[in-house]
Amino acid sequence: MKKIVEINHFRMDFGNKTVIRDLSFDVNAGEIFGFLGSNGSGKTTTLRALLGFYTPTSGELLIDGEPYNPEHSSITVGYLPEERGLYRKETVLDTLTYFGRLKGIDNPVEWSTKYLSRVGLLDKAKEKLEKLSGGQQQKIQLGVTIMNNPKLLILDEPTKGFDPVNRRLLMDIIDELHKKGTAVILITHYMDEVERLCDRAILLKDGVAHAYGTISEIKKQFNGKSLDQIFVKVYGGENE
Amino acid sequence: MSKIKNSATSTVIKFEFLRQIKKPSFWISIILIPILMFGVGLFSYLISSDTASIVEQYSENSTIAIVDDASLLPKEAPFLIDGDLDTGVEMVKDQTVDLFFYIPADFATAKNVEFYHISEGIDIFGRESSTIKAILSQYLSQNLDESIVTAITGNFAVTDNPLTSTGEPSNALGRAIIPLAFLIIFFLFVCLFGNRLLMTVVEEKENRISEMILTSVSAKHLIVGKIIAMCLLGIIQILAFVVPAVVLIFLFRDDSTISQILSLIELDPLNLLLTITLFAFSILFIIGACTFIGSISPTARDASQFIAPVMIGTMFPLYFMQSFFVQNPSIMVEFLTYFPFSAPIALMLRSAFGTLATPQLLIGIAEVAILSILIVYATIRSFIKNAINFNLALPAFLTKKS
Repeated sequence: MKKIVEINHFRMDFGNKTVIRDLSFDVNAGEIFGFLGSNGSGKTTTLRALLGFYTPTSGELLIDGEPYNPEHSSITVGYLPEERGLYRKETVLDTLTYFGRLKGIDNPVEWSTKYLSRVGLLDKAKEKLEKLSGGQQQKIQLGVTIMNNPKLLILDEPTKGFDPVNRRLLMDIIDELHKKGTAVILITHYMDEVERLCDRAILLKDGVAHAYGTISEIKKQFNGKSLDQIFVKVYGGENE
Repeated sequence: MSKIKNSATSTVIKFEFLRQIKKPSFWISIILIPILMFGVGLFSYLISSDTASIVEQYSENSTIAIVDDASLLPKEAPFLIDGDLDTGVEMVKDQTVDLFFYIPADFATAKNVEFYHISEGIDIFGRESSTIKAILSQYLSQNLDESIVTAITGNFAVTDNPLTSTGEPSNALGRAIIPLAFLIIFFLFVCLFGNRLLMTVVEEKENRISEMILTSVSAKHLIVGKIIAMCLLGIIQILAFVVPAVVLIFLFRDDSTISQILSLIELDPLNLLLTITLFAFSILFIIGACTFIGSISPTARDASQFIAPVMIGTMFPLYFMQSFFVQNPSIMVEFLTYFPFSAPIALMLRSAFGTLATPQLLIGIAEVAILSILIVYATIRSFIKNAINFNLALPAFLTKKS
């Protein structure tokens, strides 16, 4: 199986604070990979280092065998960050078209129109983003993330703030891309999503991998408990 | 992927350019500032002309001589000297008087007064017209012919004949016109675009766009695209300012004052080249400084704390403009000429007023050029480092390599 992401002995310090001590894992092409951990465990930091926003203290983080550069990457990458927003004063269509051009898609206006139609926002195409509700804005952010038909899709808490209908829409889109061969890294606190969608997962704790493998392997490691129960067992003490 | 690389900068340029140009505030500011400048200029002209205080002010600071062949002034009027035009000019050359006015016998028809003074740079700034008008209106002889009174109260011309310290004709004003025009454009650019430049960079962080945009385009292409878009907007601003001015000059080209100024304009190729080079790097420097502040600041509020000192530093030489007229500049002027933020305007002022030798000007231009390139490079690096620094709690510069 081709490895689309390789993280080897990654360490990340901020001043005197060590966020990641020694982390290694791979993500295979075409799989959905759950990246799990409590708040502040370093999941977002790892993704940011993978995408080149942070320089790792040590170790290597590769996408398709190379450090990531949006303009030189051999594969298309879509990233929906945890901290996300768009140009509030611009119209929906202008924003989608702009990102479409940056990502080098062939007909950004046509793609944007089709996408807006699919997510029920075609009538909002000429509206400024600030006029849209939070959920509607998230649909636009998702559109920006997937518009280049990514081979690697990185979603950092994608369903945060979504109502059940939009959550279902997002899951459908993830499923579609997965069927087309897209590898997905999913950060989420919803363990039912992980159990339903993910092929493999990693549990991050104290800057190292606490558990890593297929969902069934992880469950076996914790005596057949559900992922919800495992999560509470691993991280429960942190909040006491 | 090469498709992305090739089109990324042009896509950013187009997006940033169009979104700025669509804003009403862009056009309002472009129209408003020239109007304000015109208003301030008009106000300054109105309060400075036709007042006795000008005579006092100039007679206190300068010695004035007048030869009146048209007999406009009574014999007891101050400043009148015996002799002719040559006498007065010689007095200026040997520096026994500072300002000499010659009123020719045919004043009523020629409607012209000749003005002589020593000037290596610019130290009068059009006040000669106000001065002689104030003298004439204050001391005018009674029972003058009506045509003469009409000429005096009308818009008569004052021909400026500046001389160098060696007595040769000097064209300091003519040499200064083009550099001063560039200085005005630079000033307008800073006023109009300083904050806009800042906002265009800080916006990505403030609206949490950084991570999404930087996985689509590199920081280098993003920043360079933004800078080029701002330069294009600056060109529109310059055109919005220059085109009406050129049209007005063309329409009033027969006006004696305008035709006199136009005839003075001196286009020395070397000076023009140096002026344009200095202007271009000064624009790049101020763009770099503003975008750098935007790149290190998490929010517009944080950025505004940094931008004020930069703007004050840049504009500082204008508060001491008179110090830049003199041939032997003070230590402060020398300091401002080479201090990074004040250097662009200080160099432009001294270049315009002819108080800076070419080698010194070249050193200054080289300094601004190096600084501007360094600051643009630092902006790109800083934008990458601080792209996800959404608050000051965990600055990205703490990220260290082992």
